[in-house]
Amino acid sequence: MNPSNPPQAAEYGGDEVSAIVLDPGYSTTRAGFAGEDAPKSLIPTYYGKYNADGQEKLVFGDDIFTPRPGLSIHNPVGKDGIVEDWDMAEKVWEYSFTSRLTGSKPGNPFQNGLNDFSNDELPQEMEVETDEKPLSDSPLLMSEPGWNPAKAREKTIEIAMEKWNTPAFYLARNGVLASFAAGKASALVIDIGASNISITPVHDGMILKRGVQHSPLGGDYISSQIRALFKKNSPQPITITPHYLISSKTAVEAGQPPQANYKTFAADKAPDASYRALLEERTLSEFKECVVQVWPGPGKLSAPGPTGVPNEEAARNYPGRPFEFPDGYNQSFSVDRFRVVESLFDAKAAIPDPDSPVPAPTQAQTLPEIIKASLGGVDVDIRPHLLSNVVVTGASSLLYGFTERLNAELMALFPGPRVRISAPGNTAERRFGSWIGGSILASLGTFHQMWISKKEYEEHGPSIVEKRCK
Amino acid sequence: MAAAADVRDMLDLPAEGSQPRPHKKQKVVEKRPEGITRELFALLGERAPPIAINENKYKGRPKLLNKLRVRPWRMSPFTNGARSDGLVLNHWQRKHESARQPAPEGTQMDVDEPKEEGKEEPKPLEQEYAFAKYNVKAQVPRRYTDDEYNRLLRNNEWTREETDYLMDLVTEYDLRWVIIADRYNYQPKMDSEPEANAVVPAKQVRTMEQMKARYYFVAATMLAIEHPPSEMSEAEFELHEKMLKFDPNRERDRKELAALQLNRTADEVREEAMLLEELKRITSNEQSFITERRELYSRLEVPISVGNTAMYQSSQGLSQLLQTLLQADKSKKRRSILGPDGAVASPAGQTPTQQGPLNGRGETPTATTAATTSNKKGAAAQPQPMVRQLTAAEETRYGVQHHERVTAGVQFRSDRAQKLTQAKSNVQTQKLASALAELEIPVRLFMPTEKVCKEFEKLIQSVNMLLEARKVAEKVESEIRVLEASKAERERKAREAAGETPVKDHENRQVKTETEEGAGVLVPTAEGSAAPENGDGEKQGDGQNATQTPAKDDANHKRSASVLSGVSDKSNKRQRR
Repeated sequence: MNPSNPPQAAEYGGDEVSAIVLDPGYSTTRAGFAGEDAPKSLIPTYYGKYNADGQEKLVFGDDIFTPRPGLSIHNPVGKDGIVEDWDMAEKVWEYSFTSRLTGSKPGNPFQNGLNDFSNDELPQEMEVETDEKPLSDSPLLMSEPGWNPAKAREKTIEIAMEKWNTPAFYLARNGVLASFAAGKASALVIDIGASNISITPVHDGMILKRGVQHSPLGGDYISSQIRALFKKNSPQPITITPHYLISSKTAVEAGQPPQANYKTFAADKAPDASYRALLEERTLSEFKECVVQVWPGPGKLSAPGPTGVPNEEAARNYPGRPFEFPDGYNQSFSVDRFRVVESLFDAKAAIPDPDSPVPAPTQAQTLPEIIKASLGGVDVDIRPHLLSNVVVTGASSLLYGFTERLNAELMALFPGPRVRISAPGNTAERRFGSWIGGSILASLGTFHQMWISKKEYEEHGPSIVEKRCK
Repeated sequence: MAAAADVRDMLDLPAEGSQPRPHKKQKVVEKRPEGITRELFALLGERAPPIAINENKYKGRPKLLNKLRVRPWRMSPFTNGARSDGLVLNHWQRKHESARQPAPEGTQMDVDEPKEEGKEEPKPLEQEYAFAKYNVKAQVPRRYTDDEYNRLLRNNEWTREETDYLMDLVTEYDLRWVIIADRYNYQPKMDSEPEANAVVPAKQVRTMEQMKARYYFVAATMLAIEHPPSEMSEAEFELHEKMLKFDPNRERDRKELAALQLNRTADEVREEAMLLEELKRITSNEQSFITERRELYSRLEVPISVGNTAMYQSSQGLSQLLQTLLQADKSKKRRSILGPDGAVASPAGQTPTQQGPLNGRGETPTATTAATTSNKKGAAAQPQPMVRQLTAAEETRYGVQHHERVTAGVQFRSDRAQKLTQAKSNVQTQKLASALAELEIPVRLFMPTEKVCKEFEKLIQSVNMLLEARKVAEKVESEIRVLEASKAERERKAREAAGETPVKDHENRQVKTETEEGAGVLVPTAEGSAAPENGDGEKQGDGQNATQTPAKDDANHKRSASVLSGVSDKSNKRQRR
């Protein structure tokens, strides 16, 4: 191909308008320019609050992981994925794109190094606009969960239009975007997130509201199961000591008590308990990545296997996986690593923990049940088509063996129709599925007629979002 | 091993060392690569390591492109024709050559930039946005007016408001029924009546079928208003028909069935898969069965060889034959005639077996062959320790038959049936065939089971009887005709003798036929009087008389010949008399 010729627009249907795609989630917020293959800016949705010099200060992004005196961690998004604290959500989201993409404020053109001026002429017309809003020249595409209430949607467009001054805005369901990322206009999207797992049937690029299902058995629930497991651990209960509390450690044999020097913080200097919980969560997600495995099926972990040997016995025969905690304690986890996720599929297998704030799951919350409920809510004619286009997305779906088990469960649920799961093997594509779909959508030439422009917003008010973003 | 010097000696070569190896050295000195200084190259020594020294130099654009001017791209605003609000977005676009000003010089460029932009701005705006053409909407019928609604579209189940709501949704979602049914959420307006609120109306759940039925009815009606059915184009008419024929109940039933099909249990699915597999197997077997059967038929049509069988009379000759047969069998790669135990399983009737001519027939169980031929003729010769008595019902069920007399050799039941259709004469065979054709029974039976063959036999018999009966009937009929003709002839003669005119004769005959038997009784007397006249009436020279003589003896044998004239018959009778 001749490098001097641009690709024909008709070839890929793309038309870049330098839109920004913002995909806020419960655990992380993803932002980036449309047309790119991964979000440039990935920040935790959590923010930190602390007092310094008698003033309340806020920290965003990766800064929240630095221990500060009295630092408490909060999340503007509620457990069910709906924003609760709008002021803070706005700030976190704004941080996500201003920190990496747009810059908080346009710098002075004399000093930002982008312009060369000869000394004798200093153009006066290039003035620094002081009241610039962060998004005034980028259209913004945002995502939302399928069960987002109308009020929250109106609030979102209000922020985008009035606070950020975006020229055009669109609010898309993250299920739809994930199915676009998989190259499908119709799909059954299974999103395994941090706080929620959700099933979204998508037909012709629109969600079927009656089929949208979600339940709280997401990554955080798995963490609570791991904590319950640690409490009952056999040689000794395991307590997670996050890295920031360890100054040094020495290697110990497996199962031996840790030998580490701990950092201590004075009572007035120590960060809040929520900070510790956040950092423990980081250790737990490392544990999930390294150790936890989903029983691949067929059949539940508690069920007898095809050869008569109970599945649990078969799982015991898998080699154990060792894990070393920040304080040096290490242990190999055998069948327990299957148990912590089993309750995603079988509520009875949940590890009971009366002290945990997370309630025990009901059978109706398990993945097979909500898939069944979701398909029950859509027209029977499209069910087989949806089952042959199952899209798996969300970072927690990266659990080892998850898609195999999901496939086995779906085949057992629907033995008749063909079940086909489309789960990208690429980690980034799985984690950022809905962002990537947004990136594709916002760079399509045909999409530019769908934006809600500022003018339309001013004419119709926030309620236009209900009419346009269907 | 000889040393190098010895070899040199032998080959008359000069001693070692006297000659340098010129070419190797030359190669090393050869060339100093470009981009490496002479001093550095000298340092590398003679045998430089094989490192490719290539310069990472900017290659520049291909020569061809160097001639072209760089065409600038710019961030340019555009509007989308598919939008009504005139939203201006920016995208990168190649700057148009035509719009390009003569290149501004040097420093002026920066200053000119904003102005140029301002000038060019309307230019891209004018042209159509490339993606606007994809903005298509599904075609929905024109909205009805109040009058039309009241006249044609009233319905007890649907209020006007709800119909409007449905039509709005259909337009909004471009006839995607799945989505329309999903989003359908009609809330009837409460006309500010508090008592209406007290009695909460049961919220009606509309199914997709109800919506479709209503919409199709409305759309078909609107289509008919636009164009009366007589003026519709073919496509329109088809659409109209389709929409009118929509049956929500059938659709609902279909969906129920589809749901049943979807929610089958694993066992049902397995069973279905098994059945499908079976079906596949059967159909594929059927094909091979047909070809095998065809082959068998063609083999049967091969004339039986009448060659000399003397060479097979001895046991040696027979074993030789068996060997050749086995050889042929192996080379054909077909099912072996060797049984699983290696013995000859079941040779066909006329194939000579190893047992020799003495005990070749398995049906004659002598004391000696009973043991040896146990595996020869299948179950017939099998010494059965316990013979189970079958009831008549079981016999029919298993197809067991008892033959009074079994003929030797193999024969097809169908052939026997076939033989029945062959009568002795060709004419008769054709008649049989046409009778069968009339009954729509194929000459060769499709499924010649025992019962069918019996029935067929009966049928053929009755057809034969029928043909026989017809023959007799025809014969009798023709005789009657002949007799009548002769009678008329005699009367005519009698009248001629009476001197009547032939004109009246015609009328008289008509009358005669109607007269009673009494007139017939008279005839022999008239004949009797005419006979002597005829006997010597040679001088009359009738053409009839000429033909009379040869026909006379013929008639004696062939009584049914309809060609006989009345005269010949008359003479016949006379003879008898």
